[in-house]
Amino acid sequence: MSTTVAVNSQKRRSRNPFALLFENTLAGLRRRRAAIGYLFLLPTILGIIVFTAGPILVSLGLSFFRWDVFSPPRLLGWDNYSRMFSDPRVLLGFRNTFFFVVVAISMQIAVGLGIALALQQRMPTWMRYYFRTAFFLPFLMSGAATGIVIGYMLHKEFGPVNYYLTMIGLPQVPWVNSPNLVLFTIAIAYVWQNMGFTLILFIGGLNNISTEVLEAADVDGAQGFKRFWHVILPMVSPTLLFAAVTGVIGGLQIFDQPYVMTRGGPGDASRTAVMVMYESAFKNMEIGYGSAVAVILFIVILLVTAAQFSLSKRWVFYQ
Amino acid sequence: MALPHRNTLTRRDFLRVSGAGAVSLAIAACSAPAQPSAPAAGGEAGAAPAAESVLLRIQANPDQETPVYEAFKQNNPNVEAEFISVTGIDHEEVAAKMLAMLAAGEQMDLGFAATEATQLYAGKKLSLALDDYVKANEADMQEYFADVHPSLIEAMMWEGSLYQLPRDFNAANMYYNTGAFEKAGFGHPDPDWTQEDFYNTAKTIAGQEGGSKTYGYAWINRLWGSWMPWIFVNGGNILTEERAPGGEWMWQTFYTGDAAADGRGGGWRWLAPQANLAANVEALDFMVQLFNEDITPAVELGGGETLQGFFTSGTLAMTPAGGFWSGGLANAGMENGAFDVQLFPKWKNQRHQFGTGALFLFAGTKNPDTAWEYYKFGASKEGMEVNGIFTPVTLTTPSRRSMCNAERFANTGPEHWEVFYSTLDDHPDTAPIPAPPISNPMTTLFTSYTARAMSLEMTPQQALDGMQKELEDLYARDGEGMYNLE
Repeated sequence: MSTTVAVNSQKRRSRNPFALLFENTLAGLRRRRAAIGYLFLLPTILGIIVFTAGPILVSLGLSFFRWDVFSPPRLLGWDNYSRMFSDPRVLLGFRNTFFFVVVAISMQIAVGLGIALALQQRMPTWMRYYFRTAFFLPFLMSGAATGIVIGYMLHKEFGPVNYYLTMIGLPQVPWVNSPNLVLFTIAIAYVWQNMGFTLILFIGGLNNISTEVLEAADVDGAQGFKRFWHVILPMVSPTLLFAAVTGVIGGLQIFDQPYVMTRGGPGDASRTAVMVMYESAFKNMEIGYGSAVAVILFIVILLVTAAQFSLSKRWVFYQ
Repeated sequence: MALPHRNTLTRRDFLRVSGAGAVSLAIAACSAPAQPSAPAAGGEAGAAPAAESVLLRIQANPDQETPVYEAFKQNNPNVEAEFISVTGIDHEEVAAKMLAMLAAGEQMDLGFAATEATQLYAGKKLSLALDDYVKANEADMQEYFADVHPSLIEAMMWEGSLYQLPRDFNAANMYYNTGAFEKAGFGHPDPDWTQEDFYNTAKTIAGQEGGSKTYGYAWINRLWGSWMPWIFVNGGNILTEERAPGGEWMWQTFYTGDAAADGRGGGWRWLAPQANLAANVEALDFMVQLFNEDITPAVELGGGETLQGFFTSGTLAMTPAGGFWSGGLANAGMENGAFDVQLFPKWKNQRHQFGTGALFLFAGTKNPDTAWEYYKFGASKEGMEVNGIFTPVTLTTPSRRSMCNAERFANTGPEHWEVFYSTLDDHPDTAPIPAPPISNPMTTLFTSYTARAMSLEMTPQQALDGMQKELEDLYARDGEGMYNLE
């Protein structure tokens, strides 16, 4: 009888994780340490649940409904998805986004790396800090604000850029008025603003290359482009991967600059996937349809990022 | 001793609990939202006791609305007001922001809507019909309606009910830079000047040599006042239009004997798209012609700031605008007399387009009677006179005929200010821009295809065929139930 009671008590205690925490044993100590660790993680995990995982799941759920917020949702099944794949505006939005990412992120990485290399050259310290600060400053500004300013600078009739072009006898360039040019213009505005962050990454990456490696390259006669291609680039390849992954994720979510500079125009020439999502959900109040676009964009970002990591095994060199 | 491994607090356990929490949150968030409360019937049911403090939350520019509130408060000391300013490049964008705010649970008593959003709010049952209040205050309201053109009232009706008392309106008239006209040898155009007269004037001005380039004509790509006036004067519209039945209570009570009220109904219905109508194609073709001949600069989306810059700097001779531009130009430093205004030119006819705007009562207001009292005061002569949008500078055209007077425009111009109201009086067929309850997605299609034609990506015919196709899809998807067609 007393044995049965003891076993039951043991079972009850073992089912209660809080009792286990306070056991005065080595295991109890380990559990307490683990619990404290998780306690520190809790705010972050809660943040992820409430602000990331929660909205993702809610979006996924909403994407199967027709809902304008003001009337009850109506289950549509896969209708939002099938409509999306035949909606020319959505398809164009994704096409524009991919095009923008290819142009802007390649430009951002190339310019960022180029300037980082230039800043590695011998120069007074104050000048080095000045250039770093100057290139990084735009990154601290809002995309909307820089979009407005650059939009005015590139205005076809009023903008100072075209003013100076005409002064030297060149024709006015329809920077934001030409469907063929507008995404390049937005890419320039985006790169101008975000290149500072890439620059700082590459400065850190270049500073991490050991002097022994560079001296060995010198001894072996590697100079100029060969030195860059065969020594420097492989050594900064982890930074390059990080810049590419974060750049592509950010680029696929481009919204601010095209929204304030062109509102997606002319026509739909600069309408991006996030703009289509925003307009569907919050302008047309088709929350379900906007959610479906958001879900597909999420999957696209996931796949592209996974592909980048998978391909990185072929070209990223870790010391 | 072997540790009871299974009983430790593992990472997997922790994540499982966290995951369950996320799913619970998601399910909770997916549940149907609380519906807006049913509109309170006119009467005392929703009224706050006189001594009890009532807070009205009003969508308004605080600088403009505060004088109205201060005047109202003198007789209503228990009413407090909080102003929520919502800005955007156009009324359509403001409405989109408002819908997002309301969706997020924002509670307001009074909102502001222009024609672009009147049926949008009414169609979603977000605004409250004023019929009962107006009927119950017939004696007070007689003075208001006697002062306001019936076309403006009709534009604020939806399916036989009145949703707003117009505070201001703007018909698309033709503003012109007097300096540019004089330099090219033109005087004030006749009221019945034609599209051909316009073209010759614009072409002559744009073709002048010497000095900096002056464009003959420019416009902004949006629903109101873009190339829409050309559609109207060419006898077209992008949607079919007809009058909803009902509204007799309004016309028979307040507009008896007014010829301008004859034949009016219970508001406008835009039942089907007709974007690629020949008259529309011809109008867009004319716009493209002006661009190709360098009479018009590149057309942009926006709120008109760039256009104002063009105009004030003398780079632009003509543009479609309403009374709101006179104050804007004056504030931008343009001298009285440096600009003037005339009716939009005649083409197949001279039917003008307009938009009107006013506050509205939210269906979800908890204080409908107090909100109505404030509303009624705001629409009174006293309330409108102190409104910051009309005083000290007139930033839009008052809906009251008595407020469109020489004194109002004496400091700013234009010299021919009477054009603003005579657009309605002399052309009673003048009508609102097409703005059904699905006006937001419709406007996106309108501006998108307009831009495709104006950037020469498509011919006008191709652009309007594309617009028609997408509008048909939109109507098939969302158009059902917009109007009570039974």
